[in-house]
Amino acid sequence: MRNPSSLKQEFLKKWIKGLQICSATKKKMSIMERRKAIKVSADIAMASTRKSTTYWSHALMANASKDDTNKIIIENILGNDDDNSKRIIFKKASMGISMSQKRIVRSKKIVRNSCKISRRARKISPSTIAKKLVKKRTQVLKSLVPGGEYMDDASLIKETLDYIISLRVQVDVMRHLANNASHEINDPKTSS
Amino acid sequence: MDIASKNESEQEKRNEEVSMNYQSPNISSEWQLSGSNLTNASMGIMNPSSTNQMVDSFCTTTWDQSTNSPNLGFCDANVQINPSTTNPLGTLGPSWTPSNPMLKGGMFPPPGPVMLPQFPADSGFIERAARFSCFSGGNFGDMMNPFSIPESMNPYHRGPAPMQGPQEVLACNGLKSPQKQHLSNVDTEKSPLKNEKKSESFARSQDEAKEVVGVSGNESDEAGCSGRREETEGAGEESYGKNIGSKKRKRGGQDTEPAKDQIEIQKGEQNPNSISIKPGGKNGKQGSQFSDPTKEEYIHVRARRGQATNSHSLAERIRREKISERMKYLQDLVPGCNKVTGKAVMLDEIINYVQSLQRQVEFLSMKLATVNPRLDFNIDGLLSKDILQSRAGPSSSLAFPPDMTMPYPPLHPSQAGILQSGLPGYGIPNDAFRRAINPHLATTSCGPGDYKDPSSQAPNVWDNELHNVVQMGLNSSAPLSSQDLSGSLSSGQMKAES
Repeated sequence: MRNPSSLKQEFLKKWIKGLQICSATKKKMSIMERRKAIKVSADIAMASTRKSTTYWSHALMANASKDDTNKIIIENILGNDDDNSKRIIFKKASMGISMSQKRIVRSKKIVRNSCKISRRARKISPSTIAKKLVKKRTQVLKSLVPGGEYMDDASLIKETLDYIISLRVQVDVMRHLANNASHEINDPKTSS
Repeated sequence: MDIASKNESEQEKRNEEVSMNYQSPNISSEWQLSGSNLTNASMGIMNPSSTNQMVDSFCTTTWDQSTNSPNLGFCDANVQINPSTTNPLGTLGPSWTPSNPMLKGGMFPPPGPVMLPQFPADSGFIERAARFSCFSGGNFGDMMNPFSIPESMNPYHRGPAPMQGPQEVLACNGLKSPQKQHLSNVDTEKSPLKNEKKSESFARSQDEAKEVVGVSGNESDEAGCSGRREETEGAGEESYGKNIGSKKRKRGGQDTEPAKDQIEIQKGEQNPNSISIKPGGKNGKQGSQFSDPTKEEYIHVRARRGQATNSHSLAERIRREKISERMKYLQDLVPGCNKVTGKAVMLDEIINYVQSLQRQVEFLSMKLATVNPRLDFNIDGLLSKDILQSRAGPSSSLAFPPDMTMPYPPLHPSQAGILQSGLPGYGIPNDAFRRAINPHLATTSCGPGDYKDPSSQAPNVWDNELHNVVQMGLNSSAPLSSQDLSGSLSSGQMKAES
C-alpha cells in the first residue's frame, strides 16, 4: 500500500499543525482538554492523509467537523489541499449524513424485526450458526470503523485494511513522541 | 437375444441422430475418447458383425472431428484391440446386454457437442466411461486397464436389475454410493446423462448424489479449468446449479466459470458434465490428474438447495471472491492471523486488533497530554531521534528546550493533591509513574530545607504560578507524569538555587 514512512511524515506534520492551532486558541487547557485536542488533531491529521478518498476518513472528518472548534483545525490542515474536499466535508457534516443514516438505520430495523418474526420456522444448522457468528462480528467491526455502518461486506473489509494501517502509523508516531518527550524530561541536558 | 436385437435397432436409429450431432464443431475430446472407447467396447462385445459397421462409421466420424485430439492414437489402438478382446468381453456379453437400453437412454440425450452413441447405462459401463474420461486427462496407460475392469465390474452390474429403467438403476446406485466411491462417481455421471429423458429421476439422483458428491462436485468445479473441459464443467454447473447452488458458490469458484456458464446456457443441458464433477474430493487419484483442488480457507458449509439463478450465483461468487481476497490481505496485516482459518475467527482477530489500536491511541494521547501541558512538541528533537525514517524538513520547532522546563516545576506542588486522586482508570501500568510517585511521596514527607525535597522550596520560588497550577491540577483527575517530577525537580532545584 502506501509507504509508511512518508505516511508518518505527513501525519506528523499535520498533527503538529493542528496542535499549534489548538494551543493558539486556548492558552491554558486542562489535561482532559489537552488529551482531547491531541486525539482529535491526530485523528483529523490521519484522516486528511487519505484526503477523503477512503470512506472512513471522510466519515471521521465529517464527525469531527460537527464540533465548531474542530472546524478550524480541519480548515487549516486541509488548507493546502482542495477546497472542494473541504466544502464537501462541511456540507455533509452540517446537513445530513446523519439524516440519511438515520433513515437507513430505521429501515434496517424494520427489516430486522420482520425477519425475527419469520425466523421461528427455520432449522438450526451449523451453517446458519456460522453465518450468525460472522454477521455479529461484522456488526461489531462496523461499529469500530468510522462510517462503517453503511458499507457492504466487501468494502468494509477494504476500509478496515486502510484504517488499520493508518491506526498503526498514528500509534507509532505518538509512541515515539511520547517516549522522546519523556526521555527529554529525564535528561534535559542530553536533549538536542 | 431379443434384448440385443432390440438394442441394436435402437442403436441404429440413434446412431443416425448421433451422426447428425457429429457436425457440431465443439466437441470435448474427452467425450470423444470415452465415446469411442465405449462404442468400441460395447459394440465389440455385443455384435462384432453388425456393430463393426457402426463402430467404423462412428469412429470415423469421431476421428474426423477429433483430428486434434491426442487421443486419436488411443482410439486407433482401441479399435484394433477390439477384435482381439471380444472373446474375453464376450464372456461378459450376457451381463452387458441388459445394461444396453439403460445406457442408451442415458447417453442419448446429449445434443450438439457431445456425440455419444447410446450405451447401456450399466453401472459398470458408467464407471468405465468415468475412468476413460478421467484418464483422458493424463495417463493414457491407465486407459488400457478398462479392459480388465469389466471383470471387476461383474459384481456391480449384476446388482441392479437388468431391464429396469434408469430410475431404478439410479436408485440402486444411489444406495450403493455411500459405500463405494466408484458408484458415487457413477451416479453423478449417470444422472446428468438422463437429463432430458427423465428429469425426475435426474433430480432424484441429483439429490442423492449431491449428498455424496456435493463435496467432490464443488471441488471439481474449482479443480479443473482445462480448455477442453470448459463445456463439461459449465454444463455440470448448470445441471447441478439448482440443487447445489449455494454450496458451490461458497467455495469461491473460478474465473472461467462465468464464461462456462454462458456457454452452457447456449447449448442447453449436456451430458458430459458429470465427468467434471466426479474427480476431486472423492477420488483423489482421478482428481489429481485434472488439477489440484483449490484449498479452502473458509468453513465448509453443507450443501443446500439453492434458489440462485446463474446471474445471481455469478454475482455472489464474484462478491465472495473479493471478500476472500481482502481477507487474505488482512491476514498478512493482522499479527497472528496466519494460522487462523474461517471467517468468524478472522473477524474476531481483526476486531480485537482494531480495538487494541484504538485504545493505544487513546492512552498515548493521554500520555502526551500529561507530558506537554502546552501542546508543544520539540520537532527537532524528534527528528534527531529518527522517528521518521527520513527527516521531515519543513516542520519547525515550536518550543525551545529551556521553555520546556518552565512549565514543569509549577506542577510540583499540585501533584501532592493530584496524586491523592489516584491513577486514571486506564488499567495500564506505567512504571515511570510508580517510580516517581514513591520518591515524590517520600520527598513530600520530608521537612523543608532538605535538598532532596525541592517541593518545599519550589513553592517559595514559584509562588505566583502555584495558584494557577494548583487549580489546573485540582481540576483534572489524572496524575501527571512522574518523569516530570524527577526531571523538573533537579532543574527546578538548580534554578532555584542559582
